[in-house]
Amino acid sequence: MNINTNSPNENSRHIAPERIAQLLTRAAQQLDDDTVTALRRARNVALEKQSLSSPVFALSAAHNIRWLMPHSAHQWMVAIILFVAILFGGVSYWQHENDMSHLDAAILTDDLPLEVFVD
Amino acid sequence: MRNLAILAFLLLGLASAPAGAATASWHSLTPAQQEALAPLSQQWDNLPEQQQHRLLKTAKRYPNLAPEQKSRFRDRLETWSKLTPEQRDAAREKYRAFRKVPAEHREQVKRMVRQSQEEKVRQSASGVPAAPPSLQP
Repeated sequence: MNINTNSPNENSRHIAPERIAQLLTRAAQQLDDDTVTALRRARNVALEKQSLSSPVFALSAAHNIRWLMPHSAHQWMVAIILFVAILFGGVSYWQHENDMSHLDAAILTDDLPLEVFVD
Repeated sequence: MRNLAILAFLLLGLASAPAGAATASWHSLTPAQQEALAPLSQQWDNLPEQQQHRLLKTAKRYPNLAPEQKSRFRDRLETWSKLTPEQRDAAREKYRAFRKVPAEHREQVKRMVRQSQEEKVRQSASGVPAAPPSLQP
């Protein structure tokens, strides 16, 4: 069994970013033509796919909408309760306003004079 | 939980949108609204926002009124707008209570009020002060 006995300092020297970059550059220079051609073709395909994708804004908006949506059953329940409460509040407000305007119009047009109802 | 808070904020914003309407100037009213609220043309711009909002809602019913009711509406509008909110609330309460009274009793009250008004008119014409109205059993 080959046990690595290098010290931590020696390891960090081996995986230093500059050394990795040097190794990759050297390896890239030694690639055969078939590999280089395959890599170039794959890069072109990737670039074509990227140019066909949606604009950045749409991606960002879709992400925001997804972020706004409840993610768990508990969150869905809270959201539904909240929605029903707001809907109920809105309908009650609308109904109250409607009743008030109906009442005001009735007072202003009743055959009894206004003074009967006003102190 | 942050997304729920934002959702609630948006929904609350939508729900409160009608209540948050800005003050409408007299010139921005439609001809139909101006016709209904004509007695208030001078003081309209100085009325509180909430009162304007309520009057505009009430004025929506004006086109469907009978000519006699339209006349009463215009005659009473200025007095009504000068009342305090508490006085208007009290008047609404009285009117609600009066509507619950049986029809025959309501007619009786109306007759009494008419008699009292006619008496007042006669006495003011003759210069004698009006006597307090007496309730019929």
